[in-house]
Amino acid sequence: MPIIALAFLILLLAVPAAEAGPLDHPGYAKAFSCSACHGFAGNSKSNAMPVLAGMNAAYLKKALQDYASGKRPSPEMEPYSKMAVQLGVDDIASYFASQTKQPTPVAADPAAVARGRTASQSCVICHGPAGKGDPAKGIPDLSGQPAGYLAVQIMLFKADRRSPGDEQLKAVKALMRSVPDDQVADLAAYYSSLR
Amino acid sequence: MSVTRRQFLRTTGLGVAAVGALGGCATAIRGDFAPKSGKRVVVIGGGWGGATAAKYVKLGDPSIDVILLEPNKEFVSCPFSNLVLSGVRTLDSMTFSYDRLRGHGVRVIHEMATAIEPPARKVRVGEGWLEYDRLIVSPGVEFQYEQIQGLREAGDSVLHAWKAGPQTVALANQLQAVADGGVVVMSVPPVAYRCPPGPYERASQIAWFLKTKKPKSKLIVLDANPNVVSKTALFRKAWEAYPNLEYRGSNKVVKVDPGTRTLTTELGDTVKYDVVNVIPPQRAGTIAVAADLVGADKRWCEVDHVTYESVKHKNVHVIGDSTIGLPVPKSGNVANAMGKISAAVAVAALNGRPVPQMAPGNTCYSWVSDREAIAVVNSYKIENGKVVQIEQKLTPAQSVAVAQNSLGWAQSIWADVVG
Repeated sequence: MPIIALAFLILLLAVPAAEAGPLDHPGYAKAFSCSACHGFAGNSKSNAMPVLAGMNAAYLKKALQDYASGKRPSPEMEPYSKMAVQLGVDDIASYFASQTKQPTPVAADPAAVARGRTASQSCVICHGPAGKGDPAKGIPDLSGQPAGYLAVQIMLFKADRRSPGDEQLKAVKALMRSVPDDQVADLAAYYSSLR
Repeated sequence: MSVTRRQFLRTTGLGVAAVGALGGCATAIRGDFAPKSGKRVVVIGGGWGGATAAKYVKLGDPSIDVILLEPNKEFVSCPFSNLVLSGVRTLDSMTFSYDRLRGHGVRVIHEMATAIEPPARKVRVGEGWLEYDRLIVSPGVEFQYEQIQGLREAGDSVLHAWKAGPQTVALANQLQAVADGGVVVMSVPPVAYRCPPGPYERASQIAWFLKTKKPKSKLIVLDANPNVVSKTALFRKAWEAYPNLEYRGSNKVVKVDPGTRTLTTELGDTVKYDVVNVIPPQRAGTIAVAADLVGADKRWCEVDHVTYESVKHKNVHVIGDSTIGLPVPKSGNVANAMGKISAAVAVAALNGRPVPQMAPGNTCYSWVSDREAIAVVNSYKIENGKVVQIEQKLTPAQSVAVAQNSLGWAQSIWADVVG
């Protein structure tokens, strides 16, 4: 016992001071509220809330601006996004972009994943074979996002309730309308399973 | 692979092991029962605010010794506990151990703080004491039983079920047992009280339960306030589905008599019940009153809007439902935010860094049936040292989608508080 205690003590004295963690980032004081829903450092563990950790900063900034203006309607996100815009949306987007993403821990049904892979042919054109998207074109990374969140977003796109009337999203919404409702959960499961 | 001090402490829980001798036995506590060597934050109260604060001090600076004083062995969530009354959820599904906080290096001691000595920076626990550099007090609410005649004497025969736990289960059992045709009466206290929409969510859940399981029964809501305090239009709309719910505003309950099973209102009306739920008027938790943290009203604690430091005592921060003066509701989400803010302030102060300016946020869901919910969301900023609301937004209607979001919120925020 004393030897183990001594070893602990030596190890404790030998290691350097704590390395910088998520709380040490300059954006933390502006982004800390988000963890109530989106998880510590933006790593959501729930099926309904997207993972923000590692998200492309420009994409997240646009999302927050669209929520704040009401262009992307959400009673929950609108007040928080107005807060983000007033406090400094760039700081908040850079805070989450600099965090290490942990893919959703919500396991997807393997059969749904397999069906979703087959159904994903038309999505690959923009989101890529690994679902990583193309940050330069504002196309988001879908991999490892919770299936519940992805499915809700597809349904919102289909019903033109996400950024309604947005010309740039016209084509992608037309494409999504061709996806039958009973395929939505499969596609969501597939992209959720990608790493 | 290098092991940082932060990771090392997290994985070994050394902070706990080193003081394992503390145990949890009241009789063993005498004198300075945990002598202070380095920087230390003591947190009183392990609810939404205090548990969050303790965890986030450790996350912010693992070298700070953090002691959390909380008499209860488990964390039981008040948010969602109204769903236990309707049988939609179990209390177990919202009950959590404090072990994960211990894993972060917080020393959780299941004892009640009995007094505070700000000049000496000491917290009294029975016959012993603890020294602190910064104290974070998250005392929650205490009931003003004396405001309703007969309530204190009634004991457990009249339940509040306003602190999730055994009373929640007992009230659920009473509702299950009531004869079809029996009358359930609940009373709502005057503002300010914990969780403004909570009584109306409870009314919705009881009405839904009675409608489905006891179709001849009815619920009478006696509200001390003139109208539904929060999410008014949304609750009123939801109640159109519950003709068994009779709402009476400006009906303050002043007397309860378990012998005749009656409540008496300020107007002199007598209302007979088969099952009763009296939510008593409230004030800050007892330690806040004992330690002179409350204002002239002897009810609530005034604090600085940026640091949450008590206006009455230096180095003592007060957070959660017991605070007053900020334009925020007494909600779990706000307490969680205040926990993170006060932790960041304490860490900055103990490391000689400038105090951060952090504003809280509030997301508050209410279930109006077994599957549909409504929500209100508030965001804030700090302007000239004061918390100012940026916006309040309500969901346009009740929906299953909002209820699904609320489940995500619960899972995430419970993990933020005690995970």
